[in-house]
Amino acid sequence: MSGIGLHKKLEENTGLLIFGILFVSSIGGLAQVMPSLFQESLRTATENTTVYSPLEQMGRDIYMREGCSLCHSQQIRPLLAEVERYGPYSRAGEFVYDRPFLWGSKRTGPDLHRVGGKYSDEWHRLHLINPRDVVPKSIMPAYPWLAEREANANGDIGRRLAALQKLGHPYDAEDIATADAALEGKTELDAVVAYLQKLGTAYGPGDKP
Amino acid sequence: MADMPTDFWGGWIAVITVVSLAALCWFVFSIYFAANGQDEGEAQVWDETLGEGSNPAPMWWFWLILSLMVFSVIYLILYPGLGSYSGVLKWSQGGRLDESFASYREQFGEVRQSIAKATLESLQEDPAIMASARRVFDRKCGICHGSDARGQASRFPDLMDEAWQWGGDVAQIEKTIRSGRQAVMVGWQAVLGDDGVKQLARYVRELGQGGQTKDDDPGKTSYQQFCVACHGVTGEGNIMLGAPSLVDDVWLYGDSAEDIEQTIALGRNGFMPAFNDRLDDTQVRMLLAWLTRIQ
Repeated sequence: MSGIGLHKKLEENTGLLIFGILFVSSIGGLAQVMPSLFQESLRTATENTTVYSPLEQMGRDIYMREGCSLCHSQQIRPLLAEVERYGPYSRAGEFVYDRPFLWGSKRTGPDLHRVGGKYSDEWHRLHLINPRDVVPKSIMPAYPWLAEREANANGDIGRRLAALQKLGHPYDAEDIATADAALEGKTELDAVVAYLQKLGTAYGPGDKP
Repeated sequence: MADMPTDFWGGWIAVITVVSLAALCWFVFSIYFAANGQDEGEAQVWDETLGEGSNPAPMWWFWLILSLMVFSVIYLILYPGLGSYSGVLKWSQGGRLDESFASYREQFGEVRQSIAKATLESLQEDPAIMASARRVFDRKCGICHGSDARGQASRFPDLMDEAWQWGGDVAQIEKTIRSGRQAVMVGWQAVLGDDGVKQLARYVRELGQGGQTKDDDPGKTSYQQFCVACHGVTGEGNIMLGAPSLVDDVWLYGDSAEDIEQTIALGRNGFMPAFNDRLDDTQVRMLLAWLTRIQ
């Protein structure tokens, strides 16, 4: 059969045409997406990657609520300038306990993937309450309400961890049972700072941040 | 694509890519160069004159597709694309990064080495190096200590004054930069009570102003009981413990009565992160030269 003949046949037969379109448009996905679903290195935590503690996980949820990822990416690309500025480039295995991942695609502010350990907790507190106190030219909005709100105001941190546990994060029953106690007396600010200090600390030995 | 889980998926990608490329080639070629006059059947005509035309696609389109095919084949030979085949050029993202680091080292390695070993005086005499050092400071340190190094937010010390909480020797400053510092002052609220805190704060302020206090001052008694271990009998401080001098009129956390009362009541835990992993020897050397320069 010639190409013309095939073309004619498809054109005159709607069911076959629908099938043909679906088949052709799936080829890219079959070659590019499907193998990565079975690629162990993308799904295995790197050696130093651990689940978020209840406080860190709550901080992460607040980070999402406040839309931090709209201005801050969390992915360092394997380019000289980025590695020099931010630290070792990001690896897929560091994000297995990020659900959803917060890589982002917009850098109004700097990348935050390796921000953990870079500044003191006190600096983060001052900076979140009013960024201009420590970075005079900053255009970042202030988040003063974080200091006034209880981190676990809804008392649902246990349920949040349980949901993640269902999805395969290795929390055990004790982690979930003691989660409320871990957030006792903590503000949202404490939670966000704890999360920021955890970010990107899972680089391998020998990799300088 | 070097870390495919099994050969199966590597092969899967290669086969899909090659087969779809070949099928596309065949399809395009046979449309342009099919032997005409095959069974075309009766041309359909509607409404007396509305017929189904069969104009050939323009030839420039064929050349465009052909050149894309040729490009694809050359690309797949040179670069990784066919499953686990890594391409003739052995290109990889990590490899590209290593290459750019290698050329960076080749270009700047020698001069950076020499800076790391140079004396501070010789670095301080070179305005270009001082300007670079200023930029390193701005990027790595200024965010806490202020871009003019004068400290900020009543939390982060002024680095341009005479007072050094952890010692102002080059060796001590280098240790501070490389290993970080954690100051620990506990709160005395529970021990002293509200009045005790106020009395002690007043005494500490007078100590700094060189005022004479009576021996039976309750603030003085508290000071001698609780504070001398770290801040010393005369309030001169102790750089080994990071206990600041109380008599040099430098008040990191503020010099008002309320500020000092708060410091005494709740304690202070100034923390500087370690920068050993975030700065290389050259950068540390440049920072030392910049921080200890005579202004």
